[in-house]
Amino acid sequence: MTNFEEDISVYNFVSILGECFQNKASVNLVKHYPTGRMLAVKRFHLDKIWDNISIVQQEITLTKQLQHPNIITYYTSFVHGPEVFAVSPLQAFGSCKSLLDSHFNEGLPELAIILIFKDIIEAVNYLHKSGFIHRAIRASHILISASGKASLSGLHYACPLVINGRWQRAVHSFPLSTQPNLNWLSPELLEQNLKGYNEKSDIYSLGILCCELANGREPFADVDSTLMLVEKVRGCIPGLLDCTTLPSKCDDRECQGDCDIEISLSRRGFSQYLHEFCYMCLEREAKDRPSAAELLTHPVFTLVNKGISLPELLKPVLPLSDKVSPNKEMCHLDHVLHMSEMDMPSCDWDFPIS
Amino acid sequence: MPLFGKSQKSPTDVVKALKEAVNSLEKGDKKAEKAQEDVSKNLVLIKNMLYGTSDTEPQTDIIVAQLAQELYNSNLLLLLIQNLNRIDFEGKKDVAQVFNNILRRQIGTRSPTVEYICTKPEILFTLMTGYEHQEIALNCGTMLRECARYEALAKIMLYSDDFYNFFRYVEVSTFDIASDAFSTFKELLTRHKILCADFLETNYEKVFDHYQSLLNSENYVTRRQSLKLLGELLLDRHNFTVMTRYISNPDNLKLMMNMLKERSRNIQFEAFHVFKVFVANPNKPKPILDILLRNQERLVDFLMKFHTDRAEDEQFNDEKAYLIRQIQELRPAGGH
Repeated sequence: MTNFEEDISVYNFVSILGECFQNKASVNLVKHYPTGRMLAVKRFHLDKIWDNISIVQQEITLTKQLQHPNIITYYTSFVHGPEVFAVSPLQAFGSCKSLLDSHFNEGLPELAIILIFKDIIEAVNYLHKSGFIHRAIRASHILISASGKASLSGLHYACPLVINGRWQRAVHSFPLSTQPNLNWLSPELLEQNLKGYNEKSDIYSLGILCCELANGREPFADVDSTLMLVEKVRGCIPGLLDCTTLPSKCDDRECQGDCDIEISLSRRGFSQYLHEFCYMCLEREAKDRPSAAELLTHPVFTLVNKGISLPELLKPVLPLSDKVSPNKEMCHLDHVLHMSEMDMPSCDWDFPIS
Repeated sequence: MPLFGKSQKSPTDVVKALKEAVNSLEKGDKKAEKAQEDVSKNLVLIKNMLYGTSDTEPQTDIIVAQLAQELYNSNLLLLLIQNLNRIDFEGKKDVAQVFNNILRRQIGTRSPTVEYICTKPEILFTLMTGYEHQEIALNCGTMLRECARYEALAKIMLYSDDFYNFFRYVEVSTFDIASDAFSTFKELLTRHKILCADFLETNYEKVFDHYQSLLNSENYVTRRQSLKLLGELLLDRHNFTVMTRYISNPDNLKLMMNMLKERSRNIQFEAFHVFKVFVANPNKPKPILDILLRNQERLVDFLMKFHTDRAEDEQFNDEKAYLIRQIQELRPAGGH
């Protein structure tokens, strides 16, 4: 394996790919000079996130203690100035969330969803076997590489199942700063009651993810979070929008405004397997949901044969190419950062010569 | 796994098999690949005895007691830690899980594993040097912090020469290892209040000599974390003697006054929380008083303009106002 140095000077920052960590850190496209490889480098500005520095530490240390082809890896991480840089392989298709937002507003093709799920469930199965609950499975935490391999990221929300030297049957901690993930969380986690929750909570999130990838948005996206909680606790099970779940003709009451979208959704049809798969993940009671290992044997995965590749299915979207010309503006960014810190009144102390 | 359920190995067998496998892994002979496999397999068996799996409960106390006894007698814990870098990725984590579970074993109020490690401090020293090796640093870190929970083990680590290596480990270039080392370092210096206070008092010069390098580190995270920890240590009432000594040294005051002017606002802010202790001291030694007097007006001016945007932080503003008043009222000692 290539050795990636803990030295800023060997990395050329090409452009900003996006934001992460609730917009407090940026993901950058970076060229590694010695090898010419393109990488993704997360850049955390510590002055902005110091109160949460333990979360950054957790994300990086936990990720480094996991080794699975479908979990994001960090080659290295280092401090330069007031920033932490975490170097990882480039995921050239970006996150599933960005795919939905840019090209697949009404959801990904069914086969693409199944291919992504195959990879992600492998990752979740490994994570659960290693004794962790992810607690933030959602499209923005799923990254797709140029070859079409899906990887799970966002491990800073994860919590251990092994506490005090014991494998816990249930945990009770509520994830920190989890506001943006609420729609994906299971009813038992959100309830925060004495029964607690376990790794099956992630299975519920997989169900919500399935809806998100299929429909283009997660269920409850427009709903107030209190109502979302009530609905989930009452056992309302969201599903995939297609001809079997949407009325074929929109009457006045059921569609107000968004008629065009509804029509195209109500003409398509997902397979019965995918509907079932999604439904079983979203069972109200955790014990009724299958484990990640059991999900891997679900017949939905027989629908894809070997010849199909994710990049084909994602067309016309193309992966980020390796040949991107450096952006000069990036070089100036550092100066701007430093300038903003120099507004302190300067004064010299007078110390006696000892 | 019903396949293996029937022919379950006894603790004695598993420990023996694991020891043989680690030994041959250590020798690195031709059978190394087979040895690697055996190490992983037996580690999983031991781990499952202790933790159970998703469908099996952990073993009974009797089996666990037998297993622990075998681990002590065979000296296997040390052997595993010494060969940690040779064990595969998942196996390293299994070693840590087995270790942490066995460490927490209790018989009434006794912790037999802690007693055992006290007689084999080499285990602790080997774990501490784990921070020198990237591929095992984090695994050793989790075991060390588990050990640091026990006063007897924390004491051995604090009073060893190896403790001073932490001042190097917390500054290594890899962020995750440096952070992990810092959490262990902090745990050792803060967990057991009386032990820590005694340690800092008896080793004051050596510790603070080393500590100085952290405060001057070029690594922003090290500088900021160590400054924050310094504030916490000095303000802990158990460390009163240490604090008194620290705030009597004019070099320390100079350092803090310079840090108040650091470029990073957050370093300034942490430095403020150490600086305030110097000013609040009712019995300032002459050298300290001299520096404050020499800079009396400048300090007042500076503090007036210092972090004025923190209007909502009431405690900070109260403390700042108090410091300004104290500095304004400073008069030369001796009444002449």
